[in-house]
Amino acid sequence: MSIVLAALDTSATAEPVLAVAHRIGKAFGLPVEVLHVLAGGGRVPEGLAAVGVPLRVAYGDVVDRLVDAGSSDDVAVLVIGARGDQDDPRPLGTTAVGVATAVDKPVVVVPPGADTHAALNRVLVPLEGTRLTSLAPRFLIELGPEAAYEVVALHVLEPDSLPAVTDQPQHEQSVWAREFLARYCPWGIGPVRLVTRVGRTAELVPAAAHELGCDLIVLGWSRELHRGRARVVRTVLEQSPLPVLLVPVPPDRRTAPGVGAVRGVVRR
Amino acid sequence: MASAALPGLDRRFEALVIDWDAAAPWNGDLSPLVEELCGLGLDVAFHTAAGTASVNGLLPARCPGPGRLTVHGDRPAPDAVSRILAECWARGIGPEAVLVVGPDRTRLVERILTDQLDRRRRGDPPVPSPPPDWRLDIDGSDPQFSRVYESLLALGDGRLGTRGSPLVGDGDHTPSVFHIGVYAGTGPDTELAPLPLWSRLGAEEAPGPYRRTLDLRTGVLSGEGPLTSVRFSSLARPGTVVLRAGGSAALLPPHGRHTVPGPVAAAFHDDRRGGVLDRIGVYHPDAATAEQARDAAARAGFERLLYEHREAWARRWAVADIRIDGDPELQRAVRFALFHLMASVTDEGEAAVGARGLTGPGYRGHVFWDSDVFVLPFLAATHPAAARAMLEYRYRRLPAARTVARRYGHSGARFPWESAGEGVDVTPFSARLPTGEVIRVRTGEMEEHITADVAWSAACYLDWTGDTAFAGTAGRDLIVETARYWASRVRYDADGTGHIDGVIGPDEYHEAVDDNAYTNVMARWNLRTAAELDGVPPGESASWRAAAAALVDGYQPETGLYQQFAGFFDLEPVRIAEIAPRRPIAGDLLLGLDRSPRAQVVKQADVLMLYHLVPDELAPGTLLPNLDFYEPRTSHGSSLSPAIHASLLARAGRLDEALTWLRVAARTDLEDITGSTAGGLHLATMGGLWQALVFGFAGVRVTGGRLLVDPRLPSAWHLLDVGLRYRGVPLRLRIGPDAVTVEAESLTVRRAGDLWEVVPR
Repeated sequence: MSIVLAALDTSATAEPVLAVAHRIGKAFGLPVEVLHVLAGGGRVPEGLAAVGVPLRVAYGDVVDRLVDAGSSDDVAVLVIGARGDQDDPRPLGTTAVGVATAVDKPVVVVPPGADTHAALNRVLVPLEGTRLTSLAPRFLIELGPEAAYEVVALHVLEPDSLPAVTDQPQHEQSVWAREFLARYCPWGIGPVRLVTRVGRTAELVPAAAHELGCDLIVLGWSRELHRGRARVVRTVLEQSPLPVLLVPVPPDRRTAPGVGAVRGVVRR
Repeated sequence: MASAALPGLDRRFEALVIDWDAAAPWNGDLSPLVEELCGLGLDVAFHTAAGTASVNGLLPARCPGPGRLTVHGDRPAPDAVSRILAECWARGIGPEAVLVVGPDRTRLVERILTDQLDRRRRGDPPVPSPPPDWRLDIDGSDPQFSRVYESLLALGDGRLGTRGSPLVGDGDHTPSVFHIGVYAGTGPDTELAPLPLWSRLGAEEAPGPYRRTLDLRTGVLSGEGPLTSVRFSSLARPGTVVLRAGGSAALLPPHGRHTVPGPVAAAFHDDRRGGVLDRIGVYHPDAATAEQARDAAARAGFERLLYEHREAWARRWAVADIRIDGDPELQRAVRFALFHLMASVTDEGEAAVGARGLTGPGYRGHVFWDSDVFVLPFLAATHPAAARAMLEYRYRRLPAARTVARRYGHSGARFPWESAGEGVDVTPFSARLPTGEVIRVRTGEMEEHITADVAWSAACYLDWTGDTAFAGTAGRDLIVETARYWASRVRYDADGTGHIDGVIGPDEYHEAVDDNAYTNVMARWNLRTAAELDGVPPGESASWRAAAAALVDGYQPETGLYQQFAGFFDLEPVRIAEIAPRRPIAGDLLLGLDRSPRAQVVKQADVLMLYHLVPDELAPGTLLPNLDFYEPRTSHGSSLSPAIHASLLARAGRLDEALTWLRVAARTDLEDITGSTAGGLHLATMGGLWQALVFGFAGVRVTGGRLLVDPRLPSAWHLLDVGLRYRGVPLRLRIGPDAVTVEAESLTVRRAGDLWEVVPR
């Protein structure tokens, strides 16, 4: 049986991590379990033992044990804290980086200040308009086909990916949007609302998530967080108070021809 | 007979050419074989050097058709074969579908005939075999592009359009059938009514890979895969659709007939013979008429319907085809465009030609200036009956246009920016932009130039056809009523100058502008043209001339530039060609919605469009400065823009730039440059492509009752061969690097100064 596994430590992030894990579990109909790693021996904190869900305890290196546990076949989603300290300027702390980049399955990263009471009503799914990243959110339907949350797909048109034409916008946008969803949102979740913005994706995803009242952001990523990669992931984790579901996709992100990838163009 | 016994011949052919002298004498009378084969649509041609009488005596076959039996007495034999192949071509049968039985094979003639008969009896479909520049192949079923493919492979007979969806398959597709001018809904929600499907056979899962081939020459869509199929929308019997499919019997419906009621009734006849289905359907607003036509078509049968459909397309191509020797990719793209233009416009009654024709639901089938200015010229110059039907659509909506003019407090007739069934404006009132903002759409209120565009299209048709009946009735009314509108629309300043305030020109990045050059000059042209017509009261024509003379046009003699609208030259100078990562690009989104209205960034040809449509209204010799000024400021953020610029750049002799934009226009749908081809094809771009070739590169111009030619041929093109119909006479204009020739029964070409003029022999 698949579970949602929440990795809890003794930091301030533990409470929101557990709350988000419950939300995810409820949305997908999965039971929640808690994992605590004792790095240097000692005892499991009393608070953790009393959270009301099964507790797993592992011993040894925190990252290694979290990776081991998260990679277990019975774990559908791993929920971890983004960083221990709310004032930490890094998008992900050392432990979160080590785990998120190593576990080959969906990982929910919860920022320290995440709202512990919000329900999971609306999910924001930024879509680049590429074949591979469009596959990432398929996970949502695989886990929760009857999920009651609304999916809002967000596509940000950057200067390089602006449409070639707007022709008659009162018609063009609807034709374009319908086709975009058909190409890059073919998951059968049911009605998906497409929202578009023009600008820089990294900046607009957190803003749109806030503006649209979303409770979770789903991002496909290649599990590479070094400089020059995952700019959107890093910025969203830095700027958004929302939990972020990172779904691994293969690193090849060649843009598919067609929508958003004009070939018959005149370059300067 | 096993086909393996005839190596290399194991497929269906559409015509046989046989050397009688080498093959005779026969062991028996071939007449029964030949008669049945011709009855099943095969053309059989014998050639002999011994005189046709000798053949007729030994082959007393009588062929009622559809296939033809012909005997040719030409000598030598190669000449006869060439002539027969040319005749086959004229009936839509390409050389690849003709089996020429040479002297070495003549002993096999009877076996070949028997084999071909077996194939037709058992329902073998014709083999898709056009050469690369006449075909479009789609392999497989990439779900990401399946809807684009459906648009590209759409079939049409002018009246009915059907998307080229797979016969069987999953839900990635959007199969649709549309009837020209048949709408559902009201107001801005008015859309082409979706009609019952005829080319879907049910199964949700595609049982295997497949390949589709659209034969542009014959308008036949072939499929290979779980079912081997051919289908077409009959150009010979518009509204009639035909499908032959063979393969797994489980995928085929049983024998039967049924009628689906609706705004357009669809009457079907399914003929099942084992693993072969022949489906014949007829769509008509009247169910009884549909059923009668369905029964007649079913009696004619698949082979006759195919034969006459192929012939009908051959007749259209004989006039309309354009050949470009030296650019095969462009050649195919041009034929692709011409095919869809011809397939999208009926030549009977009235033709409401939506922005995407009958190839998809995009733009809801609404009719814009796209049809009048971009599509109509191609038809006026090749198939005037279709252009006339487009004008009939406008003419029948003159009462609605008069009502609109009155509602705005003016005289005459004002045509709506977006039109559908009733002729009232159906432009939506708002739009959500990619920025997420919801904007008020003001084109319906302000893009008034369409009124002059309609008049221009009437004049264009008259120039090409000289249709006196139209000139004295509908044509006159269209030009006069639109002129009356402009006369009442002009506002006069104290200094006597005339102005048109508060409009949107073709450059829709700037709204509510005054004295848009395009609008004013087109209105001026409209007024002057109407004033010259017979029967206009002298006082009225004089007032129109005065209004035309008073209208400002933004011309600045010191620079040779026309100002796009009052104040345009004061806007932020922006050469978008230098700051955009590429073009075409949505310039308004690149600059931002706040900045673009305050900047010299242009969506599409606006001032320059005048040089394309009404060059005589402009100061001579001013194309170049205006091209130099406006083109770098143009984002080409309209799919209408590249082709017009290609045309003008060709006129200016800047052929490399012209080719660049011509290729963008040519690839607009084939490469889905806009990302919206899934919603249907860009008919206006296709019409613009034809105009760029004919008016731009070929330099064809009809003016003052003369057909002039002033070509500009890129060095890579060895020949540009353009088909036209001028004043009822079909002609082919052959433009080489050094000379222009004309092929026509009664026309020739002569030098007229620096130009060529097509004149009577």
